[in-house]
Amino acid sequence: MYERNPPMKNILILTIIFLFSCSEINSKSQSLAEVDWLLSSEWIYATKIVGPQYNNEEITRPPGVEQLVMSIVLPDLGGLNSKHQCLYYTVKFKEKKSSFRIQEFKNVDKCPEISDNERENFVYIEGIDNLKLAFKSYQIIMNFKHNKKESVIEIMLPNIEEGLIHNKYEAITTKSLRPGLKLLRLTEESFDFASNKNLGKLSDRFSLGTAIRCQQVNKNCESVGENRCEMCRYGWYEVVDFQCPNGGSKFCGQNHCGEKNEPACPRGTRVVPIEEAGLCQSDLGPVANFEKILVCQ
Amino acid sequence: MKNYKRFILIMLFCAVAFVISFSFFMDFSPISGKSDQFVQDKQALKRLLHNSSEIHRIWKAGEESREWSLISEECKKELRITKNFDESLLRCSPLLLQCHSLFSKNLDYSLVTFEESGNLPFRYLTKSNSSYQGLREVGIAVTLVDKKSLKKLDIFLEDNCHEVYLEQRAYAYGEQIEIKDGEDYRFDNFDRHIYLDTHLVTNFDINMWLKFGNPDFTKGISEKKEDELFLPAVFLTYTQMESYCSYKGRQVLQAHFLDAASFLPMDLNEKIPKRNLRSPYYWTKKASEYKSDCKLLYSKDCLGKREYQTNSSQPSWAGLFDTMGGVFEAVRNPIDGESNLKASSYYFDSKSSWHKIGFRAGWNGEGFGLRDFDFRGLNPYVNIDKFKVGFRCMREILQ
Repeated sequence: MYERNPPMKNILILTIIFLFSCSEINSKSQSLAEVDWLLSSEWIYATKIVGPQYNNEEITRPPGVEQLVMSIVLPDLGGLNSKHQCLYYTVKFKEKKSSFRIQEFKNVDKCPEISDNERENFVYIEGIDNLKLAFKSYQIIMNFKHNKKESVIEIMLPNIEEGLIHNKYEAITTKSLRPGLKLLRLTEESFDFASNKNLGKLSDRFSLGTAIRCQQVNKNCESVGENRCEMCRYGWYEVVDFQCPNGGSKFCGQNHCGEKNEPACPRGTRVVPIEEAGLCQSDLGPVANFEKILVCQ
Repeated sequence: MKNYKRFILIMLFCAVAFVISFSFFMDFSPISGKSDQFVQDKQALKRLLHNSSEIHRIWKAGEESREWSLISEECKKELRITKNFDESLLRCSPLLLQCHSLFSKNLDYSLVTFEESGNLPFRYLTKSNSSYQGLREVGIAVTLVDKKSLKKLDIFLEDNCHEVYLEQRAYAYGEQIEIKDGEDYRFDNFDRHIYLDTHLVTNFDINMWLKFGNPDFTKGISEKKEDELFLPAVFLTYTQMESYCSYKGRQVLQAHFLDAASFLPMDLNEKIPKRNLRSPYYWTKKASEYKSDCKLLYSKDCLGKREYQTNSSQPSWAGLFDTMGGVFEAVRNPIDGESNLKASSYYFDSKSSWHKIGFRAGWNGEGFGLRDFDFRGLNPYVNIDKFKVGFRCMREILQ
C-alpha cells in the first residue's frame, strides 16, 4: 500500500505542514499597534466599566492562571443593545508567556470569570508583562512592558457618567469627561421605529388605565422591579402613594395630575399635613385607589 | 527508491521553504505597513475626538463662541435674519452648527449632511424618533468626517442649555391672599429634581419638531423662517403644545411651578418660611414697587419703543424669562383648570391689573380670537383677530 501510493502520503504530509503553519498564523499574537487601535476605536463608546480589579497596581498574581481583570459595557453597532468586552490577563509563569485576551459577550449581565476557548478573541497579545490598569480622569490607562519595552495605551471614555449634578439656577449636568457630549454608533437601524423599545403612546392616560407604570414603590418605600422611567417615550410623572422620601410610583406619558380621575399632583409634606399631600383641581378631592395612589375624584 | 527519497526530501524542503517565506511575508513586511495604518487610524481618531470637543464647545458657548463672532454676519444673511434677537438662544442650537459647517474656514473636519433631514448637518434625536438605547437626554446627532483620513465619528450633543433647576423649598400658588387668616395654597418640592424651560418655545424649536417629530402630531403647523425663527411659537393649540413637550420628554409647564419660579422669595436662605409672603412683581419684594420699565415688563407701552423679542424681560429669581409681559403664556393648571393663561402681556398697557404674578385668565386651548379667552371682564382694548399664546415645558429628573 505504502509502496503503491507514495504521492498520496507526500500530499498528506504537505497538507499537514501547511495546515499547521496556517493554524499557527491564526493563533498568533496581534501587534501592539493593532491592539491599541482596536481598543481605542471600541472603548471610546464604553458606558460602564467594572474594575479594573487592580487600580494601577501591577498585576503579579496568580502566575500562569488566566483571570478576569476588567469588564467594559458598550453599545453594539446601531446602539439598540449593549455588549460586554471582558479583559483576561495571564501573568507569566516559567515557560508560559503572559497574555492579554479580550472576548466579546452579548446578552449577558456580566463577564464570565474565565475566557471561552471556543470563542473568537477580539484581542489577543502575548508578552504583556508588568501590566497596570487604571481608570483616571475618564481615561483607561494601561501601562505594561511589551517585549521588555515600556508601553502605555490611553483611551478616553467620554460616555462614562458618574452621576448627575443639580445646581440651583443651572441646567442639569453630569459628572463626565465632557458633560453633554456622547459618542454614538449610529446606523440606519438606530432610527428604525420598529426597533424602538421605549415605552408608551402619546394617547396613554392614567384615567383610561393605559398609562404604563415605569416605577413601582411599595409601602416600605422600596422600589419593586426595575425603574424603567428613562425608557419612557414621552416623559414620565410621579403620583402620590406612600409619601416616600425618594418619591412615589411613576408613570410614562403626559401628566394630567389634578384632573378628574387622574392622579393627584405631589404637593410635598413639609408645609401641609400628610393628608393633604395630593393636589387636585378645586372641585375635586384626592381619594386613595386600591393601589393607594391618590386619585382626584 | 533512491529517487523517491530524493523526491520526498525536495518536497519537504519546498514545503518548509514555503512555510518560512509565507510566515515571513505574513509576519514582517505587511505588519510594518499594517502597523503604520493602525497608528494613522489612531491619530485620525484622536483628531476626531479633539474636534468633537470643539463642536461641543461651540454648542455650549453659542453666541459667546469665537466662531459666532466670525460667522454671525454670513449666518444671519444666509438665514435672512435682519432683526435683533436674543443671541443666547444660539446656545445648544443646531442653527449655529449649521452656519459653522457652512462658513467657518480652515477646518480639518466637515459635518455630514443628511438627506432625510433636508440636507441639514444634524438629526434631532428623541426617545420617540430614535431606538438608540441609553440616551438620557434629547439632543442632536452630528457626524464628523476627518478630512485627512475620511474616517467618521458620530457624536451626540445634549439639548439642555435652556432650562433651570428649581430650588427645593416651600412655595405658594397664586396671588397672596390678603384676607386676615386666609389660607395660602402652599406646596414644596423637597426631594424632587424639577427643571423648567427658561424661555418660551421658539419657532425654530417647532421647526425641529416638524422635521424630526411624528408627522401625525404636527399636521397643520407650518414652518416659520427668517425673522420669525427666534420669536415664540404662538399659534399652537394646547394639544399641540402638549405633543411638542412630549416629543422632548417633557410636560407643559404647570401653573404652580410658574408661580414658584416667579415670586421672589423674601429670604432665599429660609427654605421653609412660616408664610410665603410675596410681591406681585418678580423684581421686588415690595408690593408697592411697581415700575413701568420695558426691561422688566414688556407691556403695550413698549411696542413703540423697541421691538418685541423672546426674552424681552429680565429673568426671574429662578432664571425664567418673560414671566410677565410679552405674549400670553399657556400653562396647565392642576388647581384651577380654567385659570390657565398668563395674561400679563403686550396686549395690556403698563397700568393694567393683569400685570401681576399668579393672576391668570382662561383659554379654551383651541382658538386665538377674543371669544376663545376669558379675561374675567378685563378685556384688552385692542382690535386683534388672533392673540399670540406662547408656552414652555418642564420636566422632573430621577434622583
